[in-house]
Amino acid sequence: MPRGCLLLFCTGCLALTPRSTVAQDSAALPEPARTPALLRWGADPTGGAPYVYQDKDGNFTGFEWELAGYLARKLGRVPEFRPGDWDKLPQRLDHPADTPTGIDIVLNGYELNRELAEDYAVSRPYFVYRLQLLAHRDNDQMQGWADLMPRTGGPRKSVGVLGGSAAHAYMLKAFADHVDLRINPDVATVMGLVQDRRMDATVQDTPAATYFLRVMPQLKAVGEPRQPGFYVIYLRQSDPELLRGINQAIADGIRDGTIKRIYEKYGLWTEDQERLLYWMDQPWPQFSANQPRRSEADPESADDSAVNPWPRMLKELIHAAGMTVFLSVTSFPLAMLAGMLIAVGRVYGPRLLSIPLGLFIEVIRGTPLMLQLYTVFYLLPMLLPGLALEPIQAGILGLAINYSAYEAENYRAGLLAVPRGQLEAALALGMTRWTALRRIVIPQAARIVIPPVTNDFIALFKDTSVCSVILITELTRKYNELYNFNREYIVELAFVTAGIYLMMSYPLALAAQWIERRLGTETGVSR
Amino acid sequence: MIQVRELVKEFHGQRILDGVSFELRQGEVTVLVGPSGGGKSTLLRCMNGLEAFESGEIIAGPLRLRGGVPHAEQVLVELRRMIGMVFQQFHLFPHMTVLENVMSGPRFALGQPRSVSESLARSLLERVGLSEKMDARPAQLSGGQQQRVAIARALAVHPAVILFDEPTSALDPRMTAEVLAVLRDLARGGQTMIVVTHDMELAREATTVHVMERGRIIRSGTPAETLSGSGW
Repeated sequence: MPRGCLLLFCTGCLALTPRSTVAQDSAALPEPARTPALLRWGADPTGGAPYVYQDKDGNFTGFEWELAGYLARKLGRVPEFRPGDWDKLPQRLDHPADTPTGIDIVLNGYELNRELAEDYAVSRPYFVYRLQLLAHRDNDQMQGWADLMPRTGGPRKSVGVLGGSAAHAYMLKAFADHVDLRINPDVATVMGLVQDRRMDATVQDTPAATYFLRVMPQLKAVGEPRQPGFYVIYLRQSDPELLRGINQAIADGIRDGTIKRIYEKYGLWTEDQERLLYWMDQPWPQFSANQPRRSEADPESADDSAVNPWPRMLKELIHAAGMTVFLSVTSFPLAMLAGMLIAVGRVYGPRLLSIPLGLFIEVIRGTPLMLQLYTVFYLLPMLLPGLALEPIQAGILGLAINYSAYEAENYRAGLLAVPRGQLEAALALGMTRWTALRRIVIPQAARIVIPPVTNDFIALFKDTSVCSVILITELTRKYNELYNFNREYIVELAFVTAGIYLMMSYPLALAAQWIERRLGTETGVSR
Repeated sequence: MIQVRELVKEFHGQRILDGVSFELRQGEVTVLVGPSGGGKSTLLRCMNGLEAFESGEIIAGPLRLRGGVPHAEQVLVELRRMIGMVFQQFHLFPHMTVLENVMSGPRFALGQPRSVSESLARSLLERVGLSEKMDARPAQLSGGQQQRVAIARALAVHPAVILFDEPTSALDPRMTAEVLAVLRDLARGGQTMIVVTHDMELAREATTVHVMERGRIIRSGTPAETLSGSGW
């Protein structure tokens, strides 16, 4: 398996692994006189190289891992790594640090951001990043940033970015509808897709770009890095002492070369980092024109909608809800058809067919939908190179496969509930077995299972949210994106998103009740 | 027309049919009588291909079904198109109207066009006195009406022989009379039939009566020969 493939698989598996806190090696610490305080720092190690990641021996490493260790030593604390989803790390500052979900600081490639700075304290910058465009080495159409614009009549280029990142904000602002922007919570996954030429390009912060250009030789840097910005540490506003300590430690580390040595170890010390020293003595934080402001993420934010973002956000949510509906109404009929065929095979087919069909159902029901989507989208093309599906195709197929197992069990129950005499009566008329099943038994079974099938359809509506792991922006993913750029509306956005889901699923429930009543009248059976 | 020779059927090691033999000629009405569990219904199910049998054979026109060997679906389909069956519990299709029930055989078994099937179904429902119930659902009919629909449905595929498995035993006397009237009408029309029944009135109108007990035909003959003084 190519290294990139292995990396992808590992990141997929890691995403599914339960997380816990990880105590860092504190052997280098001086012998404490009393139990030292903890420095609980949050970061996302999923595909997190070179920030925080696991090496081939399974040990955590990365320049931020070492930076956290350095800061803790300077503060006289013991570092404790608390992993979590990248875009939800700041919210964990709202939890008490001594609870399992709480943290003291966010240290994970978070850029200086006006909205976050309103809610949380901001450290001095510890890294200067830029945005780097990357593409496959053999992609001759990608020679510079300008090549992202589609040619006349040509398709839009697919560009992957980390959801809620500075790259995401910049691409929305600079290229808006000119590119097919694909959002992913995992850098390594996006890099792998570009390497496999399943995506045209990706825009990443320079640390990630530097690392992946080294480990994925099929990638190339395209054009010059753009949009310099600062990585900062976020912490509680109620902890000014910790803020002072961290700022002092950063300043000391820059002045005495400790931080330079850490960055050089990972090939990340550049001329840009020399500017850090200057910012240690300036008023801070400063939001320059070059700083990507999340509220400026959308090109429309320059007009009146910047004052009232709701029309834009509602438009985006409704558009994403369209994707949710599309995924549901295309995948569920496939699931129903496959489920019915599987059920017929199990109930009326030969025993030799029944066994593998039963096994299929147990495997699908016994594994998570997310893993199945990973398999269809990421692993299948590795096993069968001709089967590289587009995200939407993979989403529809993955959902259909997953739900076919549940529908098969529904239909099996329905088939078994149809009296045996119905099949015999049809056979006695001279129908073939398949005609008898198709015309007589299956229509009755389908009526019997309308309530559970409707429930599953409503459940599938909500399960489409899992498709975000394969780069599909549906309703939940869009909610995540929006709140990343509009954190002041996080609660309202949640209610609106839930309301849209409800508006889609409640009519379905009513329709199911109506169908049940109608069929009850038709067959003369009250339900 | 139909010959049954030395038919043996076992179930869980128990012999349900123990060498049954008889012959059926065109236009005859044969009645099977006997105590419950004697194998009458099983015999009909074997003749309709719904049950396999261990040995013996059934000869129906050009078809010859031997016991102990699986039969191809096409053979069974041809057998069933020649030998129709009406069940004790009617087994009408609840998701269809009365008209659609009767049309189902011509349409789905014989592949006839909808218009032809519908025309045939309407005439058959008229024949059994249910032309006003064509659009009703089976659950909206009485038991007698349902059984008459079931008879019309069996007739719609023009079987040479119709097997009736206790067609009146689930009905009250008034509804039984309705169904018997239809059966008499069929018999007068020359329809070849085998009827499993406990109804002596019907049995007395048969061409031949076979008395079955413990899987064997213990007595055969005209109604006068078989039913007088025997309790059957």
